[in-house]
Amino acid sequence: MPLLYLAAFGIYLYDFIKSRRRLHNSKRLILFLTLILHCFYLLIRTFAFDHPPITNVFEIFTVLAFGIGFSYFVLELATDIRGTGPFIIIISFIFQLISSIFIKDLIEVKDVLRSNLLGVHVLHALIGYAGITISGVYGFLYLMLYKEIKSNKFGLIFERLPNLEILEKLSFYSAVIGFLSLSIAIIIGVIWLPQAFPDFSYLDPKLVASSLIWIMYGVGIFAKLTKKWVGKKVVMFSIFGFIIAIISTILTNFLASSFHSFY
Amino acid sequence: MNIIAVSINHKTAPVELREALHLDSKEIKELLDDSRKDILSEGFVLSTCNRTEIYGFPKSPEVNYIHLEKVLLEKKNVNGIKDEHFHKYFSCSALNHIFKVAAGIDSQLIGDNQIFGQVKEAFQLAEERGAAGFMLKRVFDAAIKVGKRAKSETEISEGAITVSYAAVQLIEKIFSNLNKKSALVIGMGETGLIAAKHLKDKNIGKLTVTNRTYEKAEKAAEELHAQILPFTQFKESLHEFDIIISATSAAEFIITKDEIKKMMKKRNYAATVLMDIAVPRDIDPSAGDIDNVFYNDIDSLNIIVEQNLKKRKEELPKVQNIILEEMINFFSWYNSLEIAPTIKSLRDYFEEIRADEVQKMINKFEPGDREKIDMVTKKIINKLLHHPTVELRKSAEMGTNSPESAAKIAIVRDLFGIDKTNTDKNEE
Repeated sequence: MPLLYLAAFGIYLYDFIKSRRRLHNSKRLILFLTLILHCFYLLIRTFAFDHPPITNVFEIFTVLAFGIGFSYFVLELATDIRGTGPFIIIISFIFQLISSIFIKDLIEVKDVLRSNLLGVHVLHALIGYAGITISGVYGFLYLMLYKEIKSNKFGLIFERLPNLEILEKLSFYSAVIGFLSLSIAIIIGVIWLPQAFPDFSYLDPKLVASSLIWIMYGVGIFAKLTKKWVGKKVVMFSIFGFIIAIISTILTNFLASSFHSFY
Repeated sequence: MNIIAVSINHKTAPVELREALHLDSKEIKELLDDSRKDILSEGFVLSTCNRTEIYGFPKSPEVNYIHLEKVLLEKKNVNGIKDEHFHKYFSCSALNHIFKVAAGIDSQLIGDNQIFGQVKEAFQLAEERGAAGFMLKRVFDAAIKVGKRAKSETEISEGAITVSYAAVQLIEKIFSNLNKKSALVIGMGETGLIAAKHLKDKNIGKLTVTNRTYEKAEKAAEELHAQILPFTQFKESLHEFDIIISATSAAEFIITKDEIKKMMKKRNYAATVLMDIAVPRDIDPSAGDIDNVFYNDIDSLNIIVEQNLKKRKEELPKVQNIILEEMINFFSWYNSLEIAPTIKSLRDYFEEIRADEVQKMINKFEPGDREKIDMVTKKIINKLLHHPTVELRKSAEMGTNSPESAAKIAIVRDLFGIDKTNTDKNEE
């Protein structure tokens, strides 16, 4: 799978640099085939190990890689904005690479992880994190283009990326989708987790970190909607949120001990 | 092919002469009518601000470039015109030239889009006057094909190559929907007016103009369907605009950084584009340091223009390849229009059908009659083809590949599918 994502990233990057018209459709086809194969991979894992691949962090990484790639594919089809592909697909590639290196073939999973509510909780958390990631990437692209225009350097970024207003919108809407999904994930978690885990604690580091991220995005979205924040400020906030989300995920998953860790 | 052409353009003559020789459509029609009396059998005239060109098929071998120059100068009596101000083309070079013109690579601004439409109009005008016959229509079709291919297969027309258009290109890199934006253009001189027109062409939501001389602003506003702001009051309204283009001839800054700061505060720091296309500059460039303010002056816009021009020049070989391909196609078709091979192909075609049919039926005749059948059918074919053959030979006497003979040959080849039959055979 990482090789397929690498190939898709390669062709998108090549087209970004060279802008070959004949590649416009073939690169989309390669991404589509990658996503189809990834979908098969996830289904095969589900049937082979008798559980959906959401029971540990490295399984989640592969689903996240798929989610980000798929979201971008839908976005590209819907908006026909093609210049941002390599910057999103590289994230899918990194997540899939991490997953492929560390993933283990778990057949035995805890009973608590076989619950349907867990599925809904994890699914929404995944969409939430995919939204935050895509928002962060578009925010980063906004900043690159912003800097290029401000410094009168009109290179590849200037030529290939869509305009600042579109990048800002893409970043904001992705953040809104991410925020709403995270809200659902948190609500389900708060209702269901105390029943499922006897050692549940509201002070659990993962829970605290997720809540903080949720509050942060909530404040940012509110500020944007009330027009208190615009342009660069909103985008900086989105990038900052993404970095915090990644750092907190790493810290809470690998360093802190929690009832929320299963690997 | 005996097409001839003369051209006076930006490479051969100064602007005063080009302007003096410019023909409007009425004059073009008259010139076409005059030239067809005794010089050209078919012809067309292309006249733009940068070029005046006459193309045509001479009525007789004696007609040459001098006659074309003469007919033009009779229409436009211009002093100072010399023979060296004209480029002259014949046959292959004439075709190559019109292809280059249609593709926009002979224009002053390489890849110019406008010229393609002007070439089309020139042909249409010739058609209206009955000056575009069979050959010229083929030349026209080929030129149009070259123009379309150059546009769709290369990036020869991509990117802005004028400062005012580069300003619009840059604005489009900041805002997605110009019809929801408002713009103020300060200074209604030539540059400001062109920039305002570009914004109007891009469907800007609200266009406002201001000028030190109110009457000038009024005139421009009427032309552009824009609103007017008195020059003494525009600073109080700066915050209402997403785009501010300044092109006055003021000697000092007319908008300071502090004024922009205040404006941004009132706008709640929503993105604002400041395009300073005046020389000397109108807006303090340090305003560009403020967040969400995009300040560009003529130097930065020139960077875009230079980059785009460089890219267009890099596309030239691709366009030249297209021209070469289409010239090969055109001359392949044209060479098939020779009389002798056409008569031979026509006879071969009939003979083949005759022989096939005789062969199919031959067993139904007595052995003694078979030779007679062969002879009779050959006679029928000869009689059927006698008149067309004589007519084709007669048109050949009018000159090698004259438009009339070419038309007749093309019709014969087309009606009997001679080229198609040969191609099919080759494919088999």
